[in-house]
Amino acid sequence: MFDRELKKGSAELMILSLVEARPRHGYEISKLIETRSEGVVRFNVASLYPLLYRLEQRGWIKGRWVEEGQRRRRFYRLTPEGRKVLAAQRHTWREFVEAINRITGAEHA
Amino acid sequence: MPDWKPEIRRRLSGLSLAPTREAEIVEELAQHLDDRYEELLRGGATEEEARRAALVELAESDLLAEELRRVERAVEQNPVVPGATKRRTNVFADFWQDARYAVRVLLKNPGFTAVAVVALALGIGANSAIFSVVNTVLLRPLPYKDPERLVTVWEENAKAGFPRDTPAVANYIDWRDQNQVFEGMAAIADQSFNLTGVGEPERLTGRLVSASLFPLLGVEPQLGRAFLPQEDAPGANKVVVIGHGLWQRRFGGDPKIVGRQINLNGENHEVVGVMPAHFQFPDPKDEVWAPIAFTQQQAANRGSHYLQVVARMKPNVSVGQAQAEMTAIAARLRQQYPEQNADLGATVVPLQEHLVGDIRPALLVLLGAVGFVLLVACANVANLLLARAAVRQKEIAVRIALGASRLRLVRQFLTESVLLAALGGAVGLLLAVWGVGLLKTFIPENISQVRSIALDARVLGFTLLVSLLTGLVFGLAPALQASKFNLNETLKEGGRDSAQGSRGNRVRAALVVAEVAVSLVLLIGAGLLMNSFMRLRSVDPGFSADNLLTMSVVLPRNKYPDSQRRAAFYDEMVSRVEALPGVKSAAVTNWIPLVRQGDSTGFSIEGRPDPAPGEGRRNVVVTRAVHPHYFRAMGIQLLQGRALDERDRADAPNVAVISETMARRHFPGEDPLGKRITPGDATSTNPDDWVTIVGVARDVRQVELAAEPKPQMYVPYAQGWSIFAPRYLLVSTSVEPMSLASAVRGAVWSIDRDQPVSDVRTMEEVLSASLARQRFSTLLLGVFGSVALLLAAVGIYGVMSYSVAQRTHEIGVRMALGAQRGDVLKLAVGQGLKLILVGVGIGLVAAFALTRVMESLLFGISATDPLTFVAIPVVLVFAGLLASFVPARRATKVDPMIALRYE
Repeated sequence: MFDRELKKGSAELMILSLVEARPRHGYEISKLIETRSEGVVRFNVASLYPLLYRLEQRGWIKGRWVEEGQRRRRFYRLTPEGRKVLAAQRHTWREFVEAINRITGAEHA
Repeated sequence: MPDWKPEIRRRLSGLSLAPTREAEIVEELAQHLDDRYEELLRGGATEEEARRAALVELAESDLLAEELRRVERAVEQNPVVPGATKRRTNVFADFWQDARYAVRVLLKNPGFTAVAVVALALGIGANSAIFSVVNTVLLRPLPYKDPERLVTVWEENAKAGFPRDTPAVANYIDWRDQNQVFEGMAAIADQSFNLTGVGEPERLTGRLVSASLFPLLGVEPQLGRAFLPQEDAPGANKVVVIGHGLWQRRFGGDPKIVGRQINLNGENHEVVGVMPAHFQFPDPKDEVWAPIAFTQQQAANRGSHYLQVVARMKPNVSVGQAQAEMTAIAARLRQQYPEQNADLGATVVPLQEHLVGDIRPALLVLLGAVGFVLLVACANVANLLLARAAVRQKEIAVRIALGASRLRLVRQFLTESVLLAALGGAVGLLLAVWGVGLLKTFIPENISQVRSIALDARVLGFTLLVSLLTGLVFGLAPALQASKFNLNETLKEGGRDSAQGSRGNRVRAALVVAEVAVSLVLLIGAGLLMNSFMRLRSVDPGFSADNLLTMSVVLPRNKYPDSQRRAAFYDEMVSRVEALPGVKSAAVTNWIPLVRQGDSTGFSIEGRPDPAPGEGRRNVVVTRAVHPHYFRAMGIQLLQGRALDERDRADAPNVAVISETMARRHFPGEDPLGKRITPGDATSTNPDDWVTIVGVARDVRQVELAAEPKPQMYVPYAQGWSIFAPRYLLVSTSVEPMSLASAVRGAVWSIDRDQPVSDVRTMEEVLSASLARQRFSTLLLGVFGSVALLLAAVGIYGVMSYSVAQRTHEIGVRMALGAQRGDVLKLAVGQGLKLILVGVGIGLVAAFALTRVMESLLFGISATDPLTFVAIPVVLVFAGLLASFVPARRATKVDPMIALRYE
């Protein structure tokens, strides 16, 4: 259960980070997560899109349809509020990871 | 390219999304699957392989729908995310999530949940049950119009020991005519009615009342009318209003009862009204009301005090103002009638307070006691929760690490405890329903409204409030503790099961100390009551209640108008009853003991002047007009002289037997035998006015067991004591007394087949009923004390078990280093003992301060009775030791090897 929540919690952080630099669509986000984590973390449709919608509902990201010839894609960008949240989450996450590192490091020392 | 849309739509079908929204989602997801499919084809997969692999993205069939349902729902969901404090929160959604989570947590630990719910249900149920009694008896307004304006008014004669005496008629009339504070005033007098002419004769209890009584109370008869003012006068038509119960029981609810004549006390009375079923005044047993109709002679009487007076205050008049006015009027009457009214004042008592009577302190003590029981239950559950919080560290750690705020965690924990309390409250309510039924059978019957005790909306509200508060109280400690949780410490302490650290143990220890202290207070209260109850039961009443049957036989005045005829009836009755097999002896008396009623008379002693007016009252003696066999039937021991006997006829010299207290008080150092007293004029020279003392009998507790006997006198009813008409028949038997009831009744009816016989009880029952109030509070406080003791023992056991489990490693080391089992046992039990002793110390101080409120409930011992204050703590310490011994023994079974390997 906590694995799932852990993943969910960090997933939001990952998504926010990925759309920070420029707007991206869902498939792009899922590919980026998979490749950058070297396959360790993977989201499928069933878990990714609900997350995106939730972040959008909270007003942290904003989706917009963009025509690409025959088809159109929905691109998500970071909102100003989302930018603040991202900063805060990064900070907390870093602290947590450092704490874990200190502990796991101490165990080996 | 496959068309993904039908497949996606199928999975979203249960969500009932808005059509445009659904279309957007379907398009976006389909696009994703297109991308995936193309990528797979580029990687060399066949079309079929690519199609299957792309569909895997939709995962298990319901995951997508489930996840989307959460997101697309109108209410915002609370995610477990870092930085939670930065965003707007939806309190309701949070609560909903917490509640669902709490349900899951409780279901996962059925054992824990059951123990906690049972403890809480006991506490909450006891509170609701007692509160429903308090609510009915003390809080609920009386069923009359504007009941807060109704008061009773009494003569006050503190000098003679009567702070609330029944007023004399002339005083009542002066009060009524002179006051400015009351809208109306009504007089009430006791009266019993012998109903004849419709089946078996029956004696009915009722009242003579002023015609103004019913309008004053603001109640209307259900059928017919109340009394007209002109009917409240001597010589007016005989009319009565009857109770609903009587109407149903004896007249089959006859709708034409109004206008019918019924025979009461040998005279025809017209029924003018029937009161509604819920009506009772003043006593639930009253069934007949007739106009009081004072004669001129009665209206001038200031010497005979027998009325009850009810009044309705004018709007905006306070009890204090009414009291001031009545005090002023009483002062005027004192000056006007210095002889009769020498020491008389007037007291105004709200009707509710009067009807509630002396059960009030007992109820308040019990309400306090159940509050304590609930506190103990709370402490217990708090302890359980703390122990469990230790197990849940990992969960807390992850949530804090992911940024859940402290407030959010506190709220989650409080939701859990409130849910637990609500469950406890629900079960407690069931217990209360059952408990109220049980309580009803224990509450002294003379408390009005006992029958109407029930769980109403106010009790339900009380239960709900108590449950919520309870949840907050016992949930707060664990919640705060969880919120102070230190991430680093937890992780540092690693897997060892001691992450709560020493602070957690201190809180748990403090809770146990509190439990012990509160239980001790309750148990000492219970001990004091039990002690006084036993003392009360062992009071020698001065007579023998064994094998004694009592019943009421009241002769109607118009059928037996003079004392000769009455005496003849009673003599005949006694001899016929004594002729029955199984009867040892029989007698009659005006009052049997312990019914809290009686007659007394003033008297003067020959050769001693009466006190001058205003210099104090005449001597007063409790008087019983009896058949000569009274002493034999009652088993009253004679100390001096002779008992009354057959010689003491109407034409023989007047005689009396007095009690030892009367002899001691009025004839100290003298021989009372042969001395003469008179209830009348001390200067009289007529020998018929004087009564010679022929014997001294042992004191009898005539009024109640708890009251010291007053001077008493027994006179033969045959010798002109017609004002003290006998009303009780006493039958001393050699067999089980109740088995003779119908034979005795038959003997009475063989003389007069219209003579009612009522109130058939054994003297044991009378004795037991007179202790109903004491039994009620003793029993309940005993039960509450025991529940508290049990809960405290469970609490000690829990803390000790936990502590032993925590110290397994330490104990292992000690044993490896050579500690013996005895040492380990001492170590573990010693720890428990320390907690118990601290609790006992605090509890003793609290009990010392608190049991004083019980003083009025105690008999024969002080509120700080040393024996109780020593014995109860010993019991408690013993129980506590037992509770810590079990886990301590487990400690001695620790195998050092296993304990050390446990690292």
